[in-house]
Amino acid sequence: MLDFRDVTAIAGVGYTPFTKDSGASTLTLACRAVLAALEDAGLTADDVDGLATHRVGDSAPPALVGPALGLTDLAWHLDQFGGGSVSHAVVGQAALAVAAGMAETVVCYRAINARSEFRMGGTGRGVPASPEVQYQAPYGYVAPPQQYAMYARAHMLKYGTKAEHFGQLAVTQRANAAKNPRALMRTPITMDDYLASRWIAEPFRLLDCCLETDGACAVVVTTAERARSLRRPPVLISAAAWGGGTSHLSGPAADPTVTAAAALAPRLYAQAGLGPAEIDVAELYDCFTYSVIVQLEDYGFCAKGEGGPYVASGATALDGPLPVNTHGGFLSEGYVHGVNHIAEAVSQLRGDAGDRQVPGAEVALSTAQPGYILPATSALILRRS
Amino acid sequence: MPYRPEPDRDSREWWQRIATREFVVQRCDTCGTTRFPARAFCPACRTEAWHWQEVEPEGRVESWIVNHQAFMPGAREPYVVVMVRLAAVPGCLVYGNWDGERPPEAGERVRASYNRIDDTLTLVNWAPAAG
Repeated sequence: MLDFRDVTAIAGVGYTPFTKDSGASTLTLACRAVLAALEDAGLTADDVDGLATHRVGDSAPPALVGPALGLTDLAWHLDQFGGGSVSHAVVGQAALAVAAGMAETVVCYRAINARSEFRMGGTGRGVPASPEVQYQAPYGYVAPPQQYAMYARAHMLKYGTKAEHFGQLAVTQRANAAKNPRALMRTPITMDDYLASRWIAEPFRLLDCCLETDGACAVVVTTAERARSLRRPPVLISAAAWGGGTSHLSGPAADPTVTAAAALAPRLYAQAGLGPAEIDVAELYDCFTYSVIVQLEDYGFCAKGEGGPYVASGATALDGPLPVNTHGGFLSEGYVHGVNHIAEAVSQLRGDAGDRQVPGAEVALSTAQPGYILPATSALILRRS
Repeated sequence: MPYRPEPDRDSREWWQRIATREFVVQRCDTCGTTRFPARAFCPACRTEAWHWQEVEPEGRVESWIVNHQAFMPGAREPYVVVMVRLAAVPGCLVYGNWDGERPPEAGERVRASYNRIDDTLTLVNWAPAAG
């Protein structure tokens, strides 16, 4: 089997500003983020021999970004269909390509005008084509906040999870965002603010939902050996896993309070040779507050059903035993469909996260959408070199 | 209604039967596993032979939402969408609008109620089961 653990590294990260209206095409955003990540790594576009992205018909594929940046001889590229559940698989596949010697320097990016052009779910455009949609959309059930709210209530009914548990996540992550100059929303909020925010789909309020955002984010994947000679401290890719599980859409479904992440987590930890106790910081896909709670359980940070009380204990705050979404997450920093979570993990492990830095962070978990809506997920474990 | 379902080659007959208020699921001819939604293959034994089986249109409430935002053009609000575990297919969660005077309750028994849209389309909603 290919020797994979710590063989590749993330050598640079790049962002465009996160806004409500970028005023730019997704192609332009992608190019800006790719170049910013290369600049961070101390590389130029001439060093790139691979490009990778994921999208749902709402971004610029490598076949457009390559020519736009004058890359005439890419050795490897990946244009993965999928939303947030494959965001981390893209980086994992790039790492595999680099480890296998198919490419040396792959830039993984996501460019998205998710606020001004392409909102997720049914809002603002046609119903997505999927055979499952026929059993849901006729009932006015089509958008991710509705679907996640449905699962969140199932968790509340089964385990006694409370609105205040969701609220604690929103409040904690906003406090982190207040220390993040990049974040779209930086004004602190209280539990009262959370409870007073308007209903979207009960049990979800506005502050349970992430911020749809215009922006792009990119990371540079290369060999660990080469990364050590570049500008920034390399962050090693210790494990990358992706896969599928039981659909909660129309069946067969066993338990709607368990996600595909529960099946993936053991494989991920085994690859890295460590367990949840060794994770110093976690950037967990927070399309909604509840997605963090179910992942805390499914990645083994607490027992099934204990996610709410775990959050209420303060465990996920910056000064807690498991700081979660240190940048504010999708709820407060912005929504770049998974890649900004990976970039924040890199910042934490390089020690350049500024006021929100977790002291001594050495190992980070970053995750994709845990497998609701479509039964697929992906995750990375990253380690300071 | 905001969205008219587009049956596929697997599901067309299911919709036709529902339009006549015949509530069916698929039953595998090889291993007897019941399933929904309609698919060519049995997920338990991976064979293709099956038949429709009429079952009691019943289940239990596993969750619900109260929708307050118009995510689709023409959607009225607020409205309740309920997630039901189908009695005939224990692994299956199905959706529908709530047809009740009061909110749903966790685990309560529900029965399909048919919402006839026109000659060719009927939707399945869920109402509290009598008794």
